[in-house]
Amino acid sequence: MAKETTISLTLDGIPLTAYPGQTLAAVLMSNGIRSWRTTRFEYQPRGVLCGIGVCFDCLITLNGMPNVRACTTEASNGDELNSQLGTGHGHFE
Amino acid sequence: MATSNKPVDVAVIGSGPAGMAAAVVAGESGASVLLIDASGRAGGQFYRRPTNPLVPVAGRSLHKWALFDDLEVRAENLSRHGMLTTMRSTMVWSAEGTGPFQIQTRTNSRPPERLETVVATTLVIATGAFDRHLPFPGWELPGVMSCGAVQALVKGSGVLPGQRILVAGTGPILLAVAATVLEAGGSVAAVVEANSPERLLVRAHRLTGALDKSPDLARYIALLARHRVPYLRRHRVIAAQGKGQLDFVEVAKVDRDWHQTSEDSRVITCDVLAIGFGFTASTELLVQLNAEMCVSGDGGLAVNVDSHQGTSVVGVFACGETTGVGGADLALAEGMIAGASAAQKLGLASRLGRRELEVAKRRVRRLRNVADAFSSTFATHNGWTDQVGDNTTICRCEEVRAGTIRNAVDHLGAVDVRSVKLTTRAGMGWCQGRVCSYAINLMCSRKAVPTPEGQRDALLAAERRPMTAPVTLGTLAQHFAPGVEPPDC
Repeated sequence: MAKETTISLTLDGIPLTAYPGQTLAAVLMSNGIRSWRTTRFEYQPRGVLCGIGVCFDCLITLNGMPNVRACTTEASNGDELNSQLGTGHGHFE
Repeated sequence: MATSNKPVDVAVIGSGPAGMAAAVVAGESGASVLLIDASGRAGGQFYRRPTNPLVPVAGRSLHKWALFDDLEVRAENLSRHGMLTTMRSTMVWSAEGTGPFQIQTRTNSRPPERLETVVATTLVIATGAFDRHLPFPGWELPGVMSCGAVQALVKGSGVLPGQRILVAGTGPILLAVAATVLEAGGSVAAVVEANSPERLLVRAHRLTGALDKSPDLARYIALLARHRVPYLRRHRVIAAQGKGQLDFVEVAKVDRDWHQTSEDSRVITCDVLAIGFGFTASTELLVQLNAEMCVSGDGGLAVNVDSHQGTSVVGVFACGETTGVGGADLALAEGMIAGASAAQKLGLASRLGRRELEVAKRRVRRLRNVADAFSSTFATHNGWTDQVGDNTTICRCEEVRAGTIRNAVDHLGAVDVRSVKLTTRAGMGWCQGRVCSYAINLMCSRKAVPTPEGQRDALLAAERRPMTAPVTLGTLAQHFAPGVEPPDC
């Protein structure tokens, strides 16, 4: 089935392609990426758990803004994603 | 301060099957309706579709889709006539008052978040549910996700989360997820069911209302058979393993109480483990409104409603999973009744006639019986803690391990979710205990089995959240004290 033109975004500088309307989590997973965050205390890797906006495990830094839920946020062309370390406020620490 | 001063007649929160049915019936009865939903498109979890209609959809063959399509057409018609306004990608973070009700909303799309206050004469709460979890070693590994996550990724974005997906836990949701994956062209390693589904037959006398569910179940089972997917009943995941992400899962045979029956376990290789142990209803808005709550047949918190879907708060109606988890069919029936009741409360003649209402009410009673039979067949059992060592993570947000919680219960006098939270920080993080509360509550009740009232109060204390969605202090300040500049820091 034909889909709309693809859009382009990046994770830590690596190019990703997506279809408009897909969530950030879906884009990452369709590119084979299962984890994009580490926890605040033990720096353990995390990815999607609930997938519907409840658990906040899939947090990601979107265009410089940390703590965005990848599972409920739709991808836009040109989005710059960054893996989130801890609180995501590294520059304050 | 962005506030719409003119109250709407009915604010419906949630546009899954329950909310959508309520909004349409109330609107067609002549009420002005505001429909608020966290998602970019109506449907809730069951009827989730991509916001981009060009992304291919799996699971469209479900016979019930026609019912929701019909509601959407009627909703669009109401919108054209100015009777229905929809706020999409919007979360309600607070509801208060005794009528009219003040509803605080925030946008649920990409930042920056925006707030809006709306006022409504009556409320219909149809906020649905999310997957319930029971921790096991390795459940925090990337690749382990809820059944709902797999459904959302496939139904909403047309993306399979992995190459080989193992589905485990308990309940008919496991079959639904396996079917979604297979229909989307994916591979299911196995379906691992901890209970004995054949025990449903013992409760057959309560299942006459399930007849309209059976085409779905029959289709799921046929699909699994065609793809030769192994179905392991009375088996449970005892650990997930992998380096940095999920590589394989250990599965063992268990008895009726979910205790492992032998030392043997089998290893199943997979890159995704979809888990589901039933559902937790999102009832915090009802708790904020001080509606009378109860413990539902599945052991979760639910709101008490009368046969008109009215809660103990005059002017507040509830339908769908908030009244006790029961699935999309029950939600549709309850939604219609709630919509009619809200209209009647406003002095309008309900679009549904007395006869239609009676039919819907009978359907609710029948489907509630079915839900109860499913709840008892697919209940969770004590054995789940057997493999939960002191090192197993329970609260994922604050990274609190089982040993810390056990210590709080055994030595620090913690007796319920709330006191565990105060002594260990479990449940204090981003998710506000939505993921771990059920498990912690079970860990507490092991020492002293609470009375039914005690059980309700423990669940209620955990569900009391002053804000049901996070909002930054900066956004709050801008909304409620505009023009006041924050100090430099």
